[in-house]
Amino acid sequence: MIWLLIVAMGVVVFLNRYVFLEPRLPLRLGSNVRQFLGFAVPGMLTAICGPIIFLPEHQLNLDPLNPYVLGSLVAIALVLLTRSVLLSMLASMLIFFLLRSWLT
Amino acid sequence: MSSSPPLARHAFTQGTVAILPLSLAVAPWGLLAGSMAIEANLSAWQGQGLSAIVFAGAAQLVAIGMLKSGAGLLSILLTTLLLTSQHLLYGLSMRPVVSGLPTRWRLGLGFLLTDELFALTSHHDQQQFNRWYALGVGLTFYVAWNLFTLAGIILGQNIPHLDQLGLDFSIVATFVALITPLVRSVPTLVCVAVSLFCSVLFSHWHWETALVAAGLLGMAAGFVCQKFAGSRS
Repeated sequence: MIWLLIVAMGVVVFLNRYVFLEPRLPLRLGSNVRQFLGFAVPGMLTAICGPIIFLPEHQLNLDPLNPYVLGSLVAIALVLLTRSVLLSMLASMLIFFLLRSWLT
Repeated sequence: MSSSPPLARHAFTQGTVAILPLSLAVAPWGLLAGSMAIEANLSAWQGQGLSAIVFAGAAQLVAIGMLKSGAGLLSILLTTLLLTSQHLLYGLSMRPVVSGLPTRWRLGLGFLLTDELFALTSHHDQQQFNRWYALGVGLTFYVAWNLFTLAGIILGQNIPHLDQLGLDFSIVATFVALITPLVRSVPTLVCVAVSLFCSVLFSHWHWETALVAAGLLGMAAGFVCQKFAGSRS
């Protein structure tokens, strides 16, 4: 039962990933669709972050002193200053954990 | 576009290096996926199998949670379908560069197509896209995800309250670092703002499609904004 579930989940996820990569699927992307898809990275990655920042432990937290909000602001500032993904990721995580231990 | 072996190896290595920060950022989630599987009474092989076969963090964690609460096969599969539907968008977006590749490349890169792979390769056009680079990114991430899952399975209950340590911030730190440099125009800023607002609102409402719905609305807002700006100038 569990193995059936695992394999079936694998099939579902793979189909989601693969279906539009299949050349036999009759589909041509117009310039509007391409422009729309150009927003996929900022749109989707932001949507993934939103609930982690504002709903920690599944509770809505709009407090501006929420360490997730402050940590994200620090990460934005760091990447603008340093242009390095790795450096700003590590430094903002360090600051996040410091803030978290002070604020809670 | 048949790269000679040294060039292919070089591109593969570049991909491996490019994905390293994101592979580290995913460590807490991999640990969680492994330890939660054991906690839900799955065997070690089943826990590892989830990461090896499904390879989708959010769907794995939710499925394990649903199993624990006694949900049925069909409802778990439907949830998986909705939770991972953003990959349809990624596939559509990568279609121009991937659909022309040989079958084994399409199947392989399709299997490896995660949020992270998409984030690193989606801005490449026909000339810039390198299949070996994409493979380096995807395979490295796959290996990292499975190693962290294994660590989670082994450590299991030895990490108390792993989910309450705030380790999930690592993914925010990485994604923020990836998104920020992209916000160079008003339409992109609008896209990010709408997506952020909607993702919080829809998640608060417990929509299973919260993320993809919010992402699509954000993208639509950015697109409309761009059209509007274009028609005025």
